[in-house]
Amino acid sequence: MAGTTLTATDAVERRLRGGTTDWRSWLLEGALLLSLLIALGILLVLLADIVATAAPVFLERPSDFMTSPLSARPEGAGIVQGLVGSLLITLIVSLVALPIGIGAAIYLEEYARDTAINRFIRTNIRNLAGVPAIVYGLLGLAVFVTVLGMGRILLAGGLTLAVLVLPIVVITTSEALAAVPGSIREAAFGVGATRWETIRSHVIPYAAPGIFTGTILSLARAFGETAPLLLVGAIAGTFSSSGGPIEQVTSRYTTLPTIIFHWAGYPQDEFRALGAAAIAVLLAVILVVNGAAIFLRNRYDRKW
Amino acid sequence: MTATTASPPPASAPLDLRIAPARRRREATVRLLFLAAAAFSIVISGGIIFTLIGNALAFVVQVDPAALWTDGWFPRRGMYDIKTIVAGTLIISAIAMVVAAPLGIGAAIYLSEYAGARTRKVLKPIIEILAAIPSVVLGFFALAFISPTLVQTLFPGTPLFNMLAAGIAVGILITPLVASIAEDAMHAVPAYLREAAYGLGARRRTTSIRVVVPAAVSGIMAALILGVSRAIGETMIVAMAAGATGGSLFNLNPLDQGQTMTAAMTALAIGSDQVRGAALTFESLYFVGLLLFLFTFALNLLSDSFVRRVRRRY
Amino acid sequence: MLSLAMVGSLALAGCVTTPTDSGGGTAGGVVISGSSTVEPISSLVTEDFGVANEGFEYSVDGPGTGDGFALFCEGETDISDASRPISEEEIAACEGAGIPYVELKVAVDGISVLTSNANDAVTCLSFLDLYALMGPEGDGYGNWSDQNDLADELAGELGEEFGTSNAPYPDASLEVTAPGEESGTYDSFLELVFKDIAEGREADPVARAGYTASADDNVIIEGISGSDTSLGWVGFAFYEENADVVKALEVDGGDGCVAPTAETIASNDYPISRDLFIYVNTDKAAENSTLVEFVDYYLSDEGIAAVEEAGYVSLAPEALEETRAAWDGR
Repeated sequence: MAGTTLTATDAVERRLRGGTTDWRSWLLEGALLLSLLIALGILLVLLADIVATAAPVFLERPSDFMTSPLSARPEGAGIVQGLVGSLLITLIVSLVALPIGIGAAIYLEEYARDTAINRFIRTNIRNLAGVPAIVYGLLGLAVFVTVLGMGRILLAGGLTLAVLVLPIVVITTSEALAAVPGSIREAAFGVGATRWETIRSHVIPYAAPGIFTGTILSLARAFGETAPLLLVGAIAGTFSSSGGPIEQVTSRYTTLPTIIFHWAGYPQDEFRALGAAAIAVLLAVILVVNGAAIFLRNRYDRKW
Repeated sequence: MTATTASPPPASAPLDLRIAPARRRREATVRLLFLAAAAFSIVISGGIIFTLIGNALAFVVQVDPAALWTDGWFPRRGMYDIKTIVAGTLIISAIAMVVAAPLGIGAAIYLSEYAGARTRKVLKPIIEILAAIPSVVLGFFALAFISPTLVQTLFPGTPLFNMLAAGIAVGILITPLVASIAEDAMHAVPAYLREAAYGLGARRRTTSIRVVVPAAVSGIMAALILGVSRAIGETMIVAMAAGATGGSLFNLNPLDQGQTMTAAMTALAIGSDQVRGAALTFESLYFVGLLLFLFTFALNLLSDSFVRRVRRRY
Repeated sequence: MLSLAMVGSLALAGCVTTPTDSGGGTAGGVVISGSSTVEPISSLVTEDFGVANEGFEYSVDGPGTGDGFALFCEGETDISDASRPISEEEIAACEGAGIPYVELKVAVDGISVLTSNANDAVTCLSFLDLYALMGPEGDGYGNWSDQNDLADELAGELGEEFGTSNAPYPDASLEVTAPGEESGTYDSFLELVFKDIAEGREADPVARAGYTASADDNVIIEGISGSDTSLGWVGFAFYEENADVVKALEVDGGDGCVAPTAETIASNDYPISRDLFIYVNTDKAAENSTLVEFVDYYLSDEGIAAVEEAGYVSLAPEALEETRAAWDGR
């Protein structure tokens, strides 16, 4: 036995006595912690940079910025058209993607037996979730704008994003449903409930927090998407908006991320500040929504 | 004793235990509805493949093969050099992985093996929030901060639009994804493996690196592959910060501008329906889309196979 | 979340609602697309017109003169902004689709040749230099000095007709950021600077392949200002707007070095001046009274003031009268 290596007994003794570990361990732990801190630090730098650049806009004309339409003059430009567009699109996405997505997940988790076609559907959905967003833009352009002849209206954009978000809704809902233990279902079957009655009265209420979190995260994702909408007709320019919600859904539109993309192309400082301010609003919405979803999930997360 | 039970029906007629017809009909309808919802996903896939292949085929059939191997990607002039945009995509993805792999996996190991339960409860949600930042914000950040303050200071003489800044931003984008999946994989390693190692007197460092990471290696590979897949499909950051929006020469220098497959598609589609230029300019959009779809599809299948390996072991 | 989204969007939609008396749709509105150079002018005019006329529906964007004409000749836009005159092909396309139009000159623009503020080595370039550095025969995409041989060759062949050569060029990396083929500014530059030289050399008058092209003039400014020894060209208004981050070079078209200013452009001393146009679909004008009112406003003294606000050079009074006559007599 070499005199310099530690035996197991020595190591345990040392540890119990609270002796320091060797420097290599410190180094590793330090490096790992550093990587975590860098990741978080980037977030902080980004937020700080955005807030600093956006400060002039928010200090001078906060409410005007939120309620003015787009303009060629930076002093008067605002994001209200983008906010309305984004909200209406999120609405369309929730009305279309949530029912279909949750329905599909219920089928796959509760009804489907392990046949080839059901396995195929599952693999298919997993693959769709990994398809880049811009490919959905191509699909939207070809199907909704051209073949169905809608033109470049908000409805086409909303449907495109609904299709994009659908696989994610299915996957998160499936996971929530799969986490409900079998005993819950069997309790319902035991008193003579049909499958649908079981799902409705036993499974869904227990899986509800997970489903809720998943849908919120999907909608937040749709809120921040830009690339597919550029292909499907979101305007990066100036235009007038009018009419009630129905009319807006069937006309040209823009969204908050599209406005950011457009303003980022202007080198003038005023537009930099406007772009940063729009980002601040976008981030505020997304971070609040995501934060709420995560908080609720942690709160209602049941351990089986 | 008085018999209070009802007298059974005559022996010849069995009990009807079937559920009421109305209930049964409702049950069947509901099942059909949900089946339709699930089958709709096939419709979507079919739609994607059909649209992409249809238009891409039109391109492939009509394009002059010489146009596919030229000095650069200039679709409006009829120059469709594929290796330019593929090279751009690979360079940006490589830079992104150089950033995301160490940061993501390092953060994952720390969270899984070193952080206490309370720290984990705070830090994990913060990482998930980082994952929620839209790419357009990171594109703006690349243009306004990473390029001028970082890249142009380290490498003076670099243009404002360059692939390094875009690559770093894409790396930041996918770090939370890699960290999250890798951390889940490591967390899923059963306690008895760790305890066995500690029982032999191993330090935490040894346990993490020699026991947990190898056990979770399939999940970590899946995380990396998914990261690459996401980096390849990333559009907004490269459209805003990598430059070369009208076209690009074949270029391997990250300190220069470059165009990726996704940025090429954006540049083509922003103009108008009938993009001007050589006749096949619009179809080339779908051709690039098909290439992109095939790339990411293959990567996702690969990552799936790694994940299945993990499931099988435990 | 769902109900919140519904309530939120309905409330905000109320904020942007302007009372419309027409039946909605674009029948009473104006759709403008085309040149990103002219876009700032049209944006300002539509906005001001909208302020004076409640319920005015409009949309303005700037994907490029060429793309704008493509939409215009399909009947999808009412007005096409253009930083060059309509081309033969486009005339044929519009005729084929049965779209009559009227060409209205609205402003004068000089195309400024720009380099970054940090570049002290160069102050003046002649057409000959521009052709050598950015024309079709430019090769060796890296360095200014790579074009020295070509410049000497051209000087030998062409003499002073297109200005004196400023070779040898500095030994620095050459980053060119300029408009792309869909842009009218690209076409104008080629027409004014390269065409004659290219014809003499029997070369195709296009810009060399290795440059950063964009239809978005703002992106061009960003690209030029962000690199130390860059070169490019963009409409004068965009230069003026960003004079603190880019430097305009003097241009020698055969008569000595002239710097681009409002005066030299208006007087045609600056050799790269061109006209800016709007093309109006006369069929649509016949059906859409709002469109007519809008163009009337555009050409009125109040509306045309947007040209200077956007940073371009106003037409001389006689030219403006000609345009108004063309509109009235459509």
